[in-house]
Amino acid sequence: MIIRSKPLSRRAFLRGTLGGVGVSLALPALEAMFGEGRAHAQERRDPFFGVFYWANGTPWHARHGAAQAQGGYPDLWTPAAVGAGYAPSPLLEPMARHRPTVITGLEPHTEVPPSPPGQEDGHMRGFMVALTGNRIRPDGFDHPSHTLTALDPSLDQLVAKHPDFYRGPVRFRSLEVGVSRARFHEYGHWNAISYNGPDSTNLPVMSPSALFDRVFSVPPGADVVQRRARVLDAVLADAGRLRQRLGARDRGRLDAHLTHVRSLQQRVESVAPRCDAPGRPGDPEDLVDKARLMGELLGVAVGCGLTRVFSLMLTSPASTHVFSNVGVPEEMHKTCHDGHWERVRAITHYHMQAFAAFLDAFARPEPDGTTLLDHGLVYGTSEYGEGWQHSVKELPVLIAGGAGGRFARGVHVREPDGNLCRAQLTALRAIGLDLPSFGKSGAETADVLPGLLA
Amino acid sequence: MRDLRRRGGAVVIAIAVLGCGEARLEVGATAPAREVEADADGAFAPAPAPAPDGGEAAGDAAPPRPEAPFVPGEPVMPRLTATQYRNTLTDVFGEDLPRTPVEPDTNPYLFYSIGAATTEVSETGVEQYAEAAFLVAEAVFADPARRARVLTCEPADEACLDAYVRGLGRRLFRRPLGEDEVAQWLAVARDTAGDDPLVGAESVLAGMLQSPAFLYRAEVGEPAGATNRYTSWEMAARLAFLLTDAAPDDALLDAAARGELLDDASLEAHARRLLETPRAREAVQAFFAQYFDLGGLRDVDLDPAQYPGFSPGLLRAMETEVRLLVDDVVFRRGGDVRTLFSAPRAYVNRDLAALYGVDAPGATATAFVPVEFGPETPRAGLLTLGAFLTMNAHRTETSPTLRGKFVRERVLCQEVPPPPPDVDLNLERRADSPPTLRERLEEHRSNPTCAGCHAFIDPPGFLFEHYDSMGRYRETAEGHPIDSSGDLDGLPLTDALDLADVIADDDRVGKCIARQLFRYASGRLEARAERPALKALERAFAESGYDFRALLVALVLSDAFRLVAPVSGEAPQ
Repeated sequence: MIIRSKPLSRRAFLRGTLGGVGVSLALPALEAMFGEGRAHAQERRDPFFGVFYWANGTPWHARHGAAQAQGGYPDLWTPAAVGAGYAPSPLLEPMARHRPTVITGLEPHTEVPPSPPGQEDGHMRGFMVALTGNRIRPDGFDHPSHTLTALDPSLDQLVAKHPDFYRGPVRFRSLEVGVSRARFHEYGHWNAISYNGPDSTNLPVMSPSALFDRVFSVPPGADVVQRRARVLDAVLADAGRLRQRLGARDRGRLDAHLTHVRSLQQRVESVAPRCDAPGRPGDPEDLVDKARLMGELLGVAVGCGLTRVFSLMLTSPASTHVFSNVGVPEEMHKTCHDGHWERVRAITHYHMQAFAAFLDAFARPEPDGTTLLDHGLVYGTSEYGEGWQHSVKELPVLIAGGAGGRFARGVHVREPDGNLCRAQLTALRAIGLDLPSFGKSGAETADVLPGLLA
Repeated sequence: MRDLRRRGGAVVIAIAVLGCGEARLEVGATAPAREVEADADGAFAPAPAPAPDGGEAAGDAAPPRPEAPFVPGEPVMPRLTATQYRNTLTDVFGEDLPRTPVEPDTNPYLFYSIGAATTEVSETGVEQYAEAAFLVAEAVFADPARRARVLTCEPADEACLDAYVRGLGRRLFRRPLGEDEVAQWLAVARDTAGDDPLVGAESVLAGMLQSPAFLYRAEVGEPAGATNRYTSWEMAARLAFLLTDAAPDDALLDAAARGELLDDASLEAHARRLLETPRAREAVQAFFAQYFDLGGLRDVDLDPAQYPGFSPGLLRAMETEVRLLVDDVVFRRGGDVRTLFSAPRAYVNRDLAALYGVDAPGATATAFVPVEFGPETPRAGLLTLGAFLTMNAHRTETSPTLRGKFVRERVLCQEVPPPPPDVDLNLERRADSPPTLRERLEEHRSNPTCAGCHAFIDPPGFLFEHYDSMGRYRETAEGHPIDSSGDLDGLPLTDALDLADVIADDDRVGKCIARQLFRYASGRLEARAERPALKALERAFAESGYDFRALLVALVLSDAFRLVAPVSGEAPQ
């Protein structure tokens, strides 16, 4: 039977006020905090994990630094109260229907080596720590040409490749999608948020129709499958011969290729789960519409077990997207630099509308009364706190979903100057990965955020 | 004034920008460029301290050392770029093959070849290779004319199948197959043929097209004295991929089979033969397109209300214009390639003619015609044409900083360091802000932390102020007359035409092009121990009068292109 407990009024739960001092919460692990669906979600489904990324942070305010304080701009991101059932701030209002948990006050604790110069650049430092919990790879970092890469896998890949996450075969270990095509740089490492490791990105699929074709294409017949598998055997053998002749670095690159051939071979030979595929979508220009369509497709893919990990890059780091639809005449990166606070506010609000639209497919009630969001987590973040001065303080983290009852929804946790990696560790633990710690290069932590894990 | 910096041995002041706000005076013909070298693992690592260009010295204070001997660099294993992959399929199987996506290339340090040699392919990328391979194989075998390009006998016959496997293998893997490989592919053909030997042959093709032996170039050389030299087969591939952006053709493979590509004379003859092919003209344009970052044009998005005439088509025309100018300077005219930056001519279509305000009889939306710029048209060289001006500007205003940075980094190969942490990057316009962009930038430079770099970047950037964000010429901006005066390394200049004059015979420009080509051809940054070869290349380029084709031939003949360090872990013979 379906057990539905009426949640406590979250507003009545912990209410705190924010002064200059952060409020640390020690929340009792009350069943009700974790909302509906908990009881059967746990027994029924393995969790999914998604990353939702948007560019250029939030509008600046006094907590970002002294220069930012001069304008007297209000903090429209941080909810006024901490605890469960917080009243959404103006910028979080579009997301309110999904009851995200918002964590404020965090910042990177990664070290910044003095050489090569430029590693403190908010975009680059923040981009890497927000996605990987580590700093930029110093070797080969070159600020003038914007050449950078990660040292570690991004959160989505960490999850997808963790031995405890998929304990059996899956059709797509992860899916990577993107929405805005605007690029700060042609260099591809700026145009992906999913990293397998150094110089190894998973470039996002940028159109709903291409995603549809990849995920829902009709599998070939048995004879073709057999033939393809035999061909891939020979490809693997060729690679083995080539491998003998290579140095260590190129052997690693070839091994990555081989791993992919093997998973392709498994996919060719596996039987795809039956999914009620949606119709083949179009490719709308509007970011909210496009994010919604991507959500529909990924929702079906997750719902029918084609994958349990995805990432969505709404706008790429340092995005140059032109948001003329909300009245912004200049591209976003320059708009931030030039100090147009109101325009950045409008863009951030629009980003949150897109996040909410993306999640709508995950929030649809299923026959058993639960939603996909009850079973998984979507970890939303950006590369820094704000783009005017590129402050990495107050780096936004916004987590939707209940992880099968293991993660508290609709809570505001505030941790001024806190280590960003605590939020990441908390999310990873929520989906069942028993990591002893997370974060590197000065940001390593074994502490989860208080009150969020059941 | 202008002759100051051309005088032989003249003391020229350049600003060394080791850190912003720490501007130092340097004496020398060139401003400093940070030396970058590959470490033992092949990973890029900038040298800890910047040194003036031209010195092998480890630091400024060190006395000049005798030139260190050339030591070849580490081998790299590039994956074929998307262009090389497609060109090769077209060369082998003909035009109009099914076109499916392949993983996009990425360009660290400007070049796809460097991305191809450093990045790992993604799972999606491998899936795309597989999909493309099966589709292409199907298309080749569905069309008898296409099939006849690779299979001319009856594959039911064992000798036929054997010859097919060896022939196709040689063409795609760019070397003869080993007997174990032949046996393997014959087995694939047998196992998948069912009752149709053609299906088996098709499977071989589909397999080879996704084999790492096709997709990657593992060129590791063979022992030769103290180091390794590339084999004749490897030289065929290196020559073809560099000069034609495609796998070697049969003539080159035959030459490799005869062991011909190891001596200067035959190497040069084959290089010159390839340079006459249409593919070579495309390949040279590809180098310059990456060097000038033309990929960034795709990201320009101006508001047509503010810039009448702006359209994606105009951006494509700007790109075509650069390609035609490169082709003109490198192939049609030959001679000093630095005239790219000063030639008073261009190839324009109707839209570009309107943009520049020139008569261009015969130009249409798609037809580009040559025009000479007379004294009434303020254009000369690449830096006064649409592509450069548009890419290095913003939607709402120009950017002397971006334009100056391009001149410093791309044209002169100088390094502009990143802004220091915690500086106010703000150019916000307040009610009391000065009215012109120049004044706002100058105000910005009143901050000593910013002044060092911006005094280095902005003065050449101001020279372009007569061109707006779409490249239109203008006398005023926001109601104020344009002041385009600036300078280059202390030499006062009036405008971009003045700059074109100055850099027309600046030897830094030639050195910069040689260095960028070296990186493009190597798939990595130059290692310190390779610098003697790079120096020799710069000299040969200068002696040729900066003829780009001569530079390509000199590069191909250079030790740096023909010798390679043994794979790490292997003892040299």
